[in-house]
Amino acid sequence: MQEQKEIFVKIDRCVGCRSCTIACAVAHSESNSLFGAISEKPMPKSRVYVEWVPPDRKVPLVCRNCDEAPCMSACICGAISRNEQGIPITDRDKCIGCWTCVMVCPYGVIGRHQETHKAYRCDRCPDRDIPACVEACPTKAMVYETVEAYSESMRKHASIEISRSDKG
Amino acid sequence: MKDFKYLIVGASAAGMAAAHTIRQCDHEGSIGIFTDEIDPPYFRPLIPFLISGKKKVSDMFMDGTGPYVEKDIAINFGKQVTDLNINEKQIELSDCASVSWDKILLATGSRPFMPRNIEGLNTPGVFALRRLSDARQMAKMVEQSKHAIMLGGGILNLKTAFALLEKGMKVTLIVYSPEVLSQLMEPEDALLIRKALDEAGLKIITGVNATAIHSEKGKVKGILLDNGVDLPCQMVCVGKGVKPNVDCFENSQLNLNAGIVTDIYTACNVPNVYSAGDVAVTFDPVTGRSMKTALWTNAVEMGRCAGKNMAGIKTAYSGTLGILNATQVANVPFVSMGTVHTDQTDFQVFRHRTDKSYRKLVFRSDGNQLLGAVFVGNIQNAGLYRYVIREKVNVHHIKKYIINHRLHYGHFGMNSK
Repeated sequence: MQEQKEIFVKIDRCVGCRSCTIACAVAHSESNSLFGAISEKPMPKSRVYVEWVPPDRKVPLVCRNCDEAPCMSACICGAISRNEQGIPITDRDKCIGCWTCVMVCPYGVIGRHQETHKAYRCDRCPDRDIPACVEACPTKAMVYETVEAYSESMRKHASIEISRSDKG
Repeated sequence: MKDFKYLIVGASAAGMAAAHTIRQCDHEGSIGIFTDEIDPPYFRPLIPFLISGKKKVSDMFMDGTGPYVEKDIAINFGKQVTDLNINEKQIELSDCASVSWDKILLATGSRPFMPRNIEGLNTPGVFALRRLSDARQMAKMVEQSKHAIMLGGGILNLKTAFALLEKGMKVTLIVYSPEVLSQLMEPEDALLIRKALDEAGLKIITGVNATAIHSEKGKVKGILLDNGVDLPCQMVCVGKGVKPNVDCFENSQLNLNAGIVTDIYTACNVPNVYSAGDVAVTFDPVTGRSMKTALWTNAVEMGRCAGKNMAGIKTAYSGTLGILNATQVANVPFVSMGTVHTDQTDFQVFRHRTDKSYRKLVFRSDGNQLLGAVFVGNIQNAGLYRYVIREKVNVHHIKKYIINHRLHYGHFGMNSK
């Protein structure tokens, strides 16, 4: 489990281009291509969201893979289980579309597919080395790393900043 | 040496959540569960799907799904607990056996409330859908029935009504309140849902009650309403709420108040005894009022908390909102949570209606705290509003987003000044 990577977001880098949302929807389409995805029915959905906070901040949001996932406990039909990597996954066959998970998710990152009447969410792209949203981000605002590696990079970054300001 | 380190009475939401949580925290202590049901633990909210045929019994079992993945939990089926002996630390079973414990969780749940003022409720063909066994019987009865009368306009009855409609039956809902879902919203809030129910072919009669069920040759033949109308039917389904299963604890030292009274650590008034789920009396974190909830989601949350406390990890239960429901009926999704009945007291209320959606946001009279919300049609991000209600967030800086249903997680990082 210590090797498990998470998606981290550097909010100050996000320019709100939504490349991540398009990449996510394409990665979760049948055709796996942008041109194919836009004509598919039911329409493939993005599981990452980019919200705007005034005056000018953009906030990419994605399932946080909670330790005590409230969605998993709240589910009234056993549709949400952790996969081998420990990621909570919604089983589309089991989901009855009661939206209890939507009611308890404090991050607002569980979507409702209205055509299929099923809940959907980030699955960390199990077939890819790097999740599609992270790979697509042109400003590297999204990072896929282990907690350890990410915090080390943040420490290094901070120490460089501090040493620079000392020189200045 | 006691028979079990952890004994759990009841094998549904609260009991199973507690058992699996205990096993996560304590890999060795013996866990024994006693239930009077005969089926392996199943997701109770799914039983209407057995009637519609959308799910099989094997699709409803809890074991191996979600948080229910731990091993080495002994379940004893068909065992009715008749007495709780706190001094001897043992329970008595209907087959005269007694079982001893170090710590016990009382998660006996609830059973359907059967109104006394309706005659003939024990006629074959009258159902109160609670257990898998009820659903099996009801599914059989569907084959030989044409018209079903549902008494009560709550979520369970609506779900069951749709299961019966899908089987091609004629279904009439008899609701004493002025509108369906009266426990979860006010009549005005339910208009869109009502319209969708009407269009889906469900016949609804409000403001009347049933007085008697007629039978012929031991089968339901019709129902008499208090407005004098007599409706022929072959099946009646009672959905008038539930009452907690506390009968076997009446002679114990437990503090009972139409349920088992628990403290903030889900513990009862005597040591080593805990309670969770429908049978437990807990509290609403916003109003502070003591309350019972008959909701799967709450039972799991409270059961998990009780499990931690029993395993020695002292954990406060955060309580539950009196109303906390999400579902979809007749293709209309809705969420109702917190304080939503606003006609009696002074609240600040915002409503917004389109032909496809409706929302109502209820604030404290000074406008700085969100107390409740109803979303119909569009329930996006409902979890954030639940968080704002439950954590009593000062909404001053995010109020316009709340009223306009535009709240998202990014707003929580905003400067509150």
